[in-house]
Amino acid sequence: MHKRSRWLGGLILLGLAATLTFFRIPLASSQGLTLRSAPVTGALPVSDPGSALWLEATAIEVPLSAQNVTRPMLPDTRVKTVTARALHTDSQLAIMVEWADETHDDSMIRVQDFRDAVALQFPLAAGQPFFCMGQQGGNVNIWHWKADWQADIAARADMNTLYPSMHVDQYPFTAAVDPLAVAPADYVDPNYLPALASGNLFASATRASPVEDLIAGGFGSLTAQAAEGQNVQGYGAWADGAWRVIFARDLTSSEAEDVTFAAGQVYSMSFAAWDGANGERNGQKSTSQWVGLQLGAQTDGAAQPDQPRPSQSSAAAPSDPLGMLYVFGPMVLVAGLIMALAGGALALSALLRPKDRP
Amino acid sequence: MAEVYNWHLGRSMAYAFPEAHPQKQFAAVFNINRCIGCQTCTGACKATWTFSRGQEYMWWNNVESKPYGGYPQHWDIHILQRLDEAHQAAGKQAEWDQAQAGESAPYGVYQGLTITEAAGAEQQALGYIPPDTEWRAPNFYEDTSTGYQGDRLGISTAGASLPEHQTWFFYLQRLCNHCTYPACAAACPRKAIYKRPEDGIVLIDQARCRGYRKCVEQCPYKKSMYRGTTRTSEKCVACYPRVEGSDPLSEGVPMETRCMAVCPGKIRLNGLVDIAADGSWAEAPNHPLYHLIKIEKAALPLYPQFGTEPNIYYIPPRWAPRPYLRQMFGPGVDEAIARYAAPSRQLLAVLQLFRTTQRMIFRFEIEEGPLVLETEVNGQPWQMFNDTVIGFDAKNREVARLSVVEPIHERPAERLNSI
Ligand code: SF4
Ligand code: SF4
Ligand code: SF4
Repeated sequence: MHKRSRWLGGLILLGLAATLTFFRIPLASSQGLTLRSAPVTGALPVSDPGSALWLEATAIEVPLSAQNVTRPMLPDTRVKTVTARALHTDSQLAIMVEWADETHDDSMIRVQDFRDAVALQFPLAAGQPFFCMGQQGGNVNIWHWKADWQADIAARADMNTLYPSMHVDQYPFTAAVDPLAVAPADYVDPNYLPALASGNLFASATRASPVEDLIAGGFGSLTAQAAEGQNVQGYGAWADGAWRVIFARDLTSSEAEDVTFAAGQVYSMSFAAWDGANGERNGQKSTSQWVGLQLGAQTDGAAQPDQPRPSQSSAAAPSDPLGMLYVFGPMVLVAGLIMALAGGALALSALLRPKDRP
Repeated sequence: MAEVYNWHLGRSMAYAFPEAHPQKQFAAVFNINRCIGCQTCTGACKATWTFSRGQEYMWWNNVESKPYGGYPQHWDIHILQRLDEAHQAAGKQAEWDQAQAGESAPYGVYQGLTITEAAGAEQQALGYIPPDTEWRAPNFYEDTSTGYQGDRLGISTAGASLPEHQTWFFYLQRLCNHCTYPACAAACPRKAIYKRPEDGIVLIDQARCRGYRKCVEQCPYKKSMYRGTTRTSEKCVACYPRVEGSDPLSEGVPMETRCMAVCPGKIRLNGLVDIAADGSWAEAPNHPLYHLIKIEKAALPLYPQFGTEPNIYYIPPRWAPRPYLRQMFGPGVDEAIARYAAPSRQLLAVLQLFRTTQRMIFRFEIEEGPLVLETEVNGQPWQMFNDTVIGFDAKNREVARLSVVEPIHERPAERLNSI
């Protein structure tokens, strides 16, 4: 009996460890990193990554790794780390994300072209839902910047951008004089652009921002907020093998689908990045764990360059007891293995021992 | 991954979603032997659905010259090669056990891997994205045959002798297969692709699509296509207003799709078959599609080994090399060609129904006629009867009536030259 329960205990532990390992459930969340937003006065540099104001903010390096929980996955995603800085006034927050990327992929016209992109994610309720797209009952607000949307703001790319020598006699149901210049806005009947007719922001004839404002509550549930609810501004520029992308939004929002911020408070956020040249899109991406976001209290209007550097033991970092399992997981696996081996050896020796003879 | 039953393979297989079957399934039979490669079908689809910005390269229907042609270029070679590599890595053979053929496994049991089973842990299915250069034309290598084997004067005496032509090509007519287990739907991480419960038509929700192109990557038939203008993917919609009977022309009864209804070669027969709760085809011996596919087994699925249970069936070309055809249509090829070459009375009658009406035919009846011909086919005696086949639409109204022997009308002498 005693031996059986020891066997059983070993097996259960082994099973648990194996399950965690098999599904690659990363239970760690808190890495103790906190992005401290520096309070400033005046206008935030929302479209100027080179502004000296950004030097007021303490930069943090956020490690990213390939999403490996659900299909599709790409084990060798390219963005391994991003650098983040944040600034806020008493009404607005701006976050700048920088990362190295040798290629500048801002087209989504050809079938084989994918864009570079970066996203921020914030839980919509207290606590930390699953760090990858949230979970049922744990919605997240996602801000998704897209290189092609950024390029579209200057000039919306279309077939003739990529195929300048193409010829078409006419596109029916359009009002344009020159068929080659036809753009979504020229369609008299949008039903011939079904994505546009059904309100898909990807097909929008015009773009006000390169950032899409979305919510999610688990894998496959990502949903864009309605056009009226798109209230995140942004700007991104690529230079010398690196993207610098700025997200900006009012601290408060009346929408239930939006995260809201207040000075002095600590929030959770996480990062994701895609390298279009590597075919990265959807869950084939690099993600970070949850990181703290703290909005420093407004002082007399000056920035706080002397704020403490983030550290592993920062009390401000959100705590997550589940994270401990990440540490214990491998230990449990090893212990389970040892137990199973020991149990197996005992059983084997019992079998091999010569039977007592009368 | 769930376990689902795929009757083309005669076994269960892994699939992203558990079994849930539509009440009816959109299906068609294409008689490859009759296609003249005119691309009227291709043009009809383009003129109906894909004439707009961003769809320039899209041919939801295309006709390609096999063995070399393909749209996108070499699509089947590319996916077969990946499947072959997966078999080699797994030490498996893509073989069929025909000894196990039976009611729920009409072609035997496939013992190799499907594109889903060969995918590994990271993807839903094997796949690749053909670049734009491979989508440039609906029929690359148009009418290109295999190497010509002529004599000194360039004349081949044996070139066109049956059972297999020495120099050959054939047309393969392709559109979305509205698969029972669509790889496109499994591939979509957003579940933007769905299969309609009323008719099994597979559609991409244009509001949910985010242009990820996982469907383009993992549809083995390459029938999901990306539209740069809207940055979403689009595909054949099976002309659903016609299938629903909601198109004004259809007068409320299901109608054949555009590409089916225009075919001058009369190679296409399109309809809806009843599906039982377990996914099998509800027995309907007088349904023309059921008759051709289930009873006569004259029409076969395209690349059944991919594992998506496609719903467009083909009567294989009787002049092409059998190993090539077996790779393309599975092990049922020899029986299908034998049945087609020497058709039964019923089969010959049902073959007359192709392209006689735009309405979908749900039931047929045969009125027997006299014996009109006695001959030999492949060394066996064969008789032809002038039977009459009658087709009925969804409301059980007669919509087609044809005799096996086409009636001949002789023009009277005084009108010989009149129009
Ligand atoms: S043929 Fe391709 S696009 Fe059509 S249903 Fe099947 S997997 Fe999907
Ligand atoms: S069924 Fe309709 S949409 Fe599909 S290929 Fe044929 S014509 Fe085009
Ligand atoms: S319209 Fe008919 S005969 Fe012409 S290419 Fe298409 S399938 Fe073949």
